[in-house]
Amino acid sequence: MSRKVKNSLFKSSVYLASFLSISILLFLIITLISKGINAVSWQFLTSESSNFGSQGGIIYQIIGSLLLTLSAAIISFPLALGMAIYKSEYIKRNLFQNITNTLIYSLNGIPSIIFGIFGLIFFVNILNMGISWFVGGIILAIMILPTITLSSYQSIISIPISYRENAASLGLTKWQVIHTIVLPRAISGGFTGLLIGLARAIGETAPIMFIATAFSGVTFPNSFLEPVSSLPTHILALAQQATNPQALQNAWGASLVLIILVFIFSISALIRRIHYSKVNY
Amino acid sequence: MRKIIILSTLVLTVLACTEQKNDIVSVSGSTTVLPVVSTAADMFMKQNPGSKIIVNAGGSGVGVNQVGSQRVEIGMISRDITEKEISQYPNTSFKTHSIGRDAVVPVVSSEIYNAGITALTLDQLAKIYRGEISNWKELNGPDKEILVIDKEAARGTRHVFMEIVLGDKEAQASGADLVLGANNEEQTALVQSDAALGILSNGWLNDDVKGLSIKMPDGTLIEPSLENIVNNNFPITRDLVLITNGTPTGKTKEFIDFILSAKGQEIVVKNGYVGISK
Amino acid sequence: MWASQNKLGKGYVITSTYVSIAITLLIFSILFCYSFQAFTEIGWRLFTHNWNPATEEYGILPMLYGTLSVTCIALLIAVPIGVLTAIFTSEIVPKQYRLYIKSAIELLAGIPSIVYGLIGIAFFSTWISSWFDLASGRTLLTAGILLAIMILPTIITLSDDALFNIPKKYREASKGLGFYSYEVIQKTIWPIAKKNIAGAILLALGRALGETMAVMLLVGSIDKIPDPFYKVISPGQTITSKLGREVGESAFGSLHFSALNAIGFILLLLVITLTVFTQIYFRKKQEAL
Repeated sequence: MSRKVKNSLFKSSVYLASFLSISILLFLIITLISKGINAVSWQFLTSESSNFGSQGGIIYQIIGSLLLTLSAAIISFPLALGMAIYKSEYIKRNLFQNITNTLIYSLNGIPSIIFGIFGLIFFVNILNMGISWFVGGIILAIMILPTITLSSYQSIISIPISYRENAASLGLTKWQVIHTIVLPRAISGGFTGLLIGLARAIGETAPIMFIATAFSGVTFPNSFLEPVSSLPTHILALAQQATNPQALQNAWGASLVLIILVFIFSISALIRRIHYSKVNY
Repeated sequence: MRKIIILSTLVLTVLACTEQKNDIVSVSGSTTVLPVVSTAADMFMKQNPGSKIIVNAGGSGVGVNQVGSQRVEIGMISRDITEKEISQYPNTSFKTHSIGRDAVVPVVSSEIYNAGITALTLDQLAKIYRGEISNWKELNGPDKEILVIDKEAARGTRHVFMEIVLGDKEAQASGADLVLGANNEEQTALVQSDAALGILSNGWLNDDVKGLSIKMPDGTLIEPSLENIVNNNFPITRDLVLITNGTPTGKTKEFIDFILSAKGQEIVVKNGYVGISK
Repeated sequence: MWASQNKLGKGYVITSTYVSIAITLLIFSILFCYSFQAFTEIGWRLFTHNWNPATEEYGILPMLYGTLSVTCIALLIAVPIGVLTAIFTSEIVPKQYRLYIKSAIELLAGIPSIVYGLIGIAFFSTWISSWFDLASGRTLLTAGILLAIMILPTIITLSDDALFNIPKKYREASKGLGFYSYEVIQKTIWPIAKKNIAGAILLALGRALGETMAVMLLVGSIDKIPDPFYKVISPGQTITSKLGREVGESAFGSLHFSALNAIGFILLLLVITLTVFTQIYFRKKQEAL
């Protein structure tokens, strides 16, 4: 085969593959938007679901999902921040750094269904907390912990050495340095990580389906120990009746709403990342 | 500062762990019973503002487990509790409350029904589920492989069906091609296929999912009609049951009584089942 | 004042670090403890074909096979398409558009798996059943294709990074030698980028192994290895779909529950080994650069 033929073969396969990828991505977006838009209306967003979700709206599913992610954020942000600071400011030995790194990466790699099983065993059964949104929040918090920690840590270690040197020459104590220089950076980086984490957490089904959600009859929870309904588990219930046109339509509607929520989180993270990468020291 | 944080976390945790589920009745289990209970729950909550009934699906097995581990007040089951399940929960005394009657019906995709297969004998069903008959042609139908749909092992519909057809409620069906869960999911698979055979509750039949009659050894055909369920002629029938741990009290009792009342029984009938009073 | 804050602050960061570490270790030990019964009581019989809780048979081979085949299908489809697309975005697309394309792809990577499941049920399963004239579109192949689409964005963005980060001068030097663009990539770019691309694929593999919802809805969920084994247009079962469907049904503390935990633990080990290996490998490379 001549070089020229090879080259054009290669080029056409690159174009073919890109065409395929782009059409797949376009197909996904167009399907989700066009199918979803038919289902979404003000009434859909603000009314309760009824008749197995095939009628009515998704207000309590939206509330439930937001509640789960909000509690996950509140639980996991301070933990991650502390860990990032400890990792960057206090751990000096390489061995220890490697151990914490490995642990964070393993936590990050755990498949989502395993979190669900862990939650079922530990929180629901051993601690006897029952099926509740609070347990779901804790599990989602654990799941997004590594993302926030790493993002916050990256942000701390990118602080220029000169800042620390200046601070040290002013005679600041270690905690003063942390307080004035490290902490703001840690919070800022952690927040970007939090947004990325929440974008993932709000769409997860497997970790919460055994431990946090219920099918119907759920309204706003009065206590920590009540189940909620959530968008992903609602879509799961509706997807199983995919030949019922009404159920399917509501499933598309719920998917569109869920994706918009995911995108709100991930686009904010993206904007923050682009914005902060432009800040130079 | 740190002490305050730790203290408040502790207080929160204690609060979280001790808060009583006052007026909440949690129900979970069989998707066959689900439509009745979920509709009844909506009505009950409208009549009794302030009370809350949370209904979850999952299957009869889940219902038994959650009542057994005292995680919910009411379990919905569409089969009997097995000996094994009772022995797994020595601290729970299961109490059953029948709320209606149902048939488990062998169902086929409408294409097969329209091609003339409208009744099968129990023996033919057994052979299909054992894998000895694998093409509709062998039953004088079209030349198509049978898509045999089985259900998850702890599902009530499966227990009742296998008990009668294969002689053991936990028998394995080696002829099965798909294993699905909820009635909804199976209904969807039947509609999407043109050569499927599955098992569904009587309440889930419709124009796309046709219920077969059972051909008895003496040659009579018995349709899955409400009448045949009432007089027990249809060979595969069962009770729809709610289970509780001990005798129910409070809101749990009120809710079960509501389902057993005339209004509740109307819901049972509306969903394609037979009321208990008849 | 500062001294006490110093202590407080240190206490806070230490506590949060140890809590996080404890949680991670707790997940592993809980999973292990609850699968221990299955490992001791069932032992080697775990590696048989038949899963039937009623007769206390817990053979996990069909699940292992299903996970393996579904992941292989996904990689076979997604790797060539993904890597070639990455060559397109990094080498051909003008620089000012690249960021937009990349952002769009990254956003798509965030679509929740349950939504993919819905799309799979509504479209893919019916397509597969009509293309191959099957009675049901719930097959290993369907799940594999869907997984391929799910991991495609990961492969594209990470491979694109790997290619794009190679300094311009390499390309220019090699073009100066009169190479066709194919040869530039084959002889100059590929040898440098291939390790990072391998890393991207390993990460995608980790995601594919652990993916639950979409697979659970589409794989057919029958505990059988197809006959012949390469006939992937038949239904099967993966580890994750088994867990997703059966964990709720098994009684807490029973052998059945323990056996499910055991497959969960095997999955966990598989994925963690893979992730940690990838991360260490990446770190070593970064340090070497």
